[in-house]
Amino acid sequence: MARMYPVAFVLLLLVALNAGANLGRDDERFHEELVVRPLSGDHVNTYFQFTTRWHYGDKDNLYHTQLTPRVIAELLQQFAVKELHIGLTQGLWRYETWGYPIVEATSGAEMWAWFSGANLTNREVDRQWKELANVFSGVLCASLNFVDNTNSIAPRHLIRPQFMPANGRRFVRYATLPREIVCTENLTPWKKLLPCGSASGFASLLNSGHVHNTKYHSLGLKVRVLCEDHDEDNCIVELTQTANLVYDLRLFELSNNDFSLRRMFGMGLNGFCELAESSKIYVQRNEQGERYQLVPEPVHEVKTTRGGHSVVYSVYDMHEQFKEPGERLFNVAWLAPKSENRRRNLAKPSLPPVTVHRYLLGHGQERGRIVTEVTNSHYDTLPIMLQEVIPWYVHAYLHTLSIRRKPQRVNEYGRQRLPFKLLHYTPGKQRELPSHLEIGFTLPGQTSALITIDVDYLLLKWLEYPPDANHGHYIGSAIVSSQLPMGRNYTALPPEGHLFEHSFNATRPSYVLSLHTEALIVSLPTPDFSMPYNVICLACTVVALAFGPIHSVATKMIIVGRQASTPKNFVKKIFNKIFRRGKPTDEAAAECEELRAAGAAAVGATGMASARASISPGGPSGDQPLLEDLDEEEEEQD
Amino acid sequence: MDSKFFKLLLLGGAVRFYFCRTPLAPMIGNRVEFATPLNSHKRMQEGIFLLQNGIDPYQGDLVHESPLILSALSGLFQKYPHFLPIFYIILDVCTAALLYAMSLRFVKQKQEQQDVERKEYAKDTEELQFNPLDKFDIPELVIVAYLFNPLTVMSCIGMTSTVISNLFLAFFFYCLVKGLLLPCLLVLAFETVRSFYPIVLIAPLLLVFSRNSIRRGVAISVLFIVSCLLVAIANYFVLNSWNFLDGTLGFIFYFRDLQPNIGLFWYFFTEMFEHFRTMFLITFQLNATVLYLVPLSIKLRKEPLLLATVLVALMAVFRAYPSLGDVGFYLALLPLWKRCWKFMAHGFVVFTFFLVTLSMMGALWHLWIYAGSANANFYFGATLAFSTGQIFLITDLLFAHVKREFCLFNGQKILIDGEEARIVLK
Repeated sequence: MARMYPVAFVLLLLVALNAGANLGRDDERFHEELVVRPLSGDHVNTYFQFTTRWHYGDKDNLYHTQLTPRVIAELLQQFAVKELHIGLTQGLWRYETWGYPIVEATSGAEMWAWFSGANLTNREVDRQWKELANVFSGVLCASLNFVDNTNSIAPRHLIRPQFMPANGRRFVRYATLPREIVCTENLTPWKKLLPCGSASGFASLLNSGHVHNTKYHSLGLKVRVLCEDHDEDNCIVELTQTANLVYDLRLFELSNNDFSLRRMFGMGLNGFCELAESSKIYVQRNEQGERYQLVPEPVHEVKTTRGGHSVVYSVYDMHEQFKEPGERLFNVAWLAPKSENRRRNLAKPSLPPVTVHRYLLGHGQERGRIVTEVTNSHYDTLPIMLQEVIPWYVHAYLHTLSIRRKPQRVNEYGRQRLPFKLLHYTPGKQRELPSHLEIGFTLPGQTSALITIDVDYLLLKWLEYPPDANHGHYIGSAIVSSQLPMGRNYTALPPEGHLFEHSFNATRPSYVLSLHTEALIVSLPTPDFSMPYNVICLACTVVALAFGPIHSVATKMIIVGRQASTPKNFVKKIFNKIFRRGKPTDEAAAECEELRAAGAAAVGATGMASARASISPGGPSGDQPLLEDLDEEEEEQD
Repeated sequence: MDSKFFKLLLLGGAVRFYFCRTPLAPMIGNRVEFATPLNSHKRMQEGIFLLQNGIDPYQGDLVHESPLILSALSGLFQKYPHFLPIFYIILDVCTAALLYAMSLRFVKQKQEQQDVERKEYAKDTEELQFNPLDKFDIPELVIVAYLFNPLTVMSCIGMTSTVISNLFLAFFFYCLVKGLLLPCLLVLAFETVRSFYPIVLIAPLLLVFSRNSIRRGVAISVLFIVSCLLVAIANYFVLNSWNFLDGTLGFIFYFRDLQPNIGLFWYFFTEMFEHFRTMFLITFQLNATVLYLVPLSIKLRKEPLLLATVLVALMAVFRAYPSLGDVGFYLALLPLWKRCWKFMAHGFVVFTFFLVTLSMMGALWHLWIYAGSANANFYFGATLAFSTGQIFLITDLLFAHVKREFCLFNGQKILIDGEEARIVLK
């Protein structure tokens, strides 16, 4: 696994050099791109990328922003953040049928950031991380304010930086909020960060009514700071906003498999953003896109070969399309061959080399087992790394962690184990820290690995449950990372590039792949929320049940008295009580005196009063027997 | 020490050995009634695994066993995991043997004391006095009550670390009766640093060893504090960090894990309002430690062993993470007070309480956690009733002792005007 880091650093050097070459000082450029890729199973992937790059040079220049949103510029002044990723996603990306996405995201909210600077401490980074999350909670109207130490980790191996650390140490923080529901309220502020807003350009296609009808939609935001030659005063800030959508064509309820921009987004394109340096639409023409005929016919075509895998894209340049003045809408239509009408496209794509799945075993609300399955369908051995964040309300037992393997075609896992190459574990702490696990191993070709760990579900305090307590609690997705030797299904941008076109012909020795598994939901045992008072009262009563008798044993004296002369019969007893209550006081007192005398005679004690006085309440009561009448009514009258 | 004693030990071991090979054993190891966050076998394994992998086990929230125990057992856990049940069985049998030796000695002491005091006893009190046969009966009852009590058997086959605690407690009792000050202090200090509550047993220890001299008492207390510090320092050197203090004592005191158990804490603090939590935490911990310590020490100053028994029993009821193994231990001490049994009025009630609540617990747990048709209140009710039953038993024992003491000197039948009198506390 260690081999991949030097490679990463070489790439980063390229980033820094590249940065200087493109942009002059104080240069600020904005690009918008749209990629449309038909996927198998009648799905279409549309990917928007808006990139702003600003060679701001000196830090003081950050006070005067043009294309870059003010929030991002202020970010760099306030925090030592060098790289920031935020993803807001709804839905699950299906690796088996859709291949790998251009940007990875997990369902819910995900956020990670790199901090670097002089004199930065872990505590300071924790503080900045929390504040950063709060800032973006406001900027994106997401619940990122719930990001704090209880759900953040500092990944050790899996997340690599994409910037050059100028000086000082680097710190990374990572958090997911799988419960977060992504909706219109996130899309609108996200669009406001764009220079043209949603008025013109590709962003005008992102209408919430259509975006949220998709099977999968993911909003992303990435900020990087790239500084040249370890110089803090010669830097580029790069903001990349992405929207990755997957449409299910069957939901359009058409008689055929045709679709168009207007069909997907509700309207055609009204032009390009005037501030954009480039504004291009890329349409994949081979693989699943092969059977469609495009209207209008594209002018340019690009063939890209990356890691032995070729893809053909047709390119529509909006600057060309809208050269003539006059208002109109631009639309691209994909026409399927007529013979294919109303039939599902069942053509299976080639299976991606690595796929992951995760599920939960066991029943009941007491304990379970988290299972992550990684399949390598490549013919060669691949290095695999897995990062797991187990929230504090679930106890994970590291000694139960095991990796079993099986050949891909066999159904059952045998006893064959895989050894760890790398293990990093920070145990969790209730209400404070999540458990953080990173493991690395090599997975032979055509083999599946089953990673299991046993967990216990905790009972929480009654106020710690969310409003719908029996909905269950989420365990965020795991990240599986690998290094592919070839570029099949691989579409991610190389770390040194910032536009989608930079991924064309970007052949590298290896391709760093990271996949997200499904998030899990566990149902913890719940207390009864309706009766805190009853519980407090009952528990205290039982404590009092012990306190009373022990108190009397310890403090009271032993006394011998006449058997109460009450009759055994219950009814007569009650009559007796009523009758005796009516007795005159003096008569009772006289009787009492009489009794005392008799008692003294019987046992030979010196006298009631003196004996009582001589014995302290805490003293030994068994030593000196005393005699007294036991009738309670008379005691009251005394 | 006759052949019967060894036969019983062998039989007790055999019973445990039989059950630890049945599917019952892993089931018991997972039951909340036996395995609490403090004593569960799974957490011990986790602790040893983390220790072996160079991760501080107390950094997390899973391991609450003391570092000395973890490092002492790590070799056994890692190399011979198959012999672990045997190891726990041997420990449990040792506990039984220690209890036997202790009770033998105790009865002998009682009989000697009786010979001195016999003149002062009332006439009709032969059945309240220890008779010569008790020398055989009581130790035998004690060992049978320990070895064949289902609670201790299950606690042993579930491999809870209560087995280790019980061994230390039995050793403490043995040294207390035998009059061995130093081992007594050391084992108590070890248990105190490990699970906090045994600190109350310093009271019977002082009563036995100080012999009414304040100077000796102070010296022993200082010695106890010093040995506690020594144990803590020894623990410190296992990992070179003080994290374990928060992981063991802090965890017990602050009651951080709300996992259900047979005690009173879990549901109470689940449902507690956050701003009252600290106050009730202190109240409950005081209740489990010092609240009954002073009055009972004064009251039972002539019977340090009874004091120790009652304190151990109260500990099993009121501690933060009680398990049925603790209950089994103090139940085995009850036969020592066989001569008080005559005055124990609630025997049947307590027995029924135990039987019903213990059998209900399993069913209600299943309904709550697995079937989803009951809620936490049901299980809480069963544990509450079980605690009530235990409290009845303890207070009953105390009352019986007080009455026996009284009757021993004043006769069992006290007549007032020819009528039989009643004896009550007032």
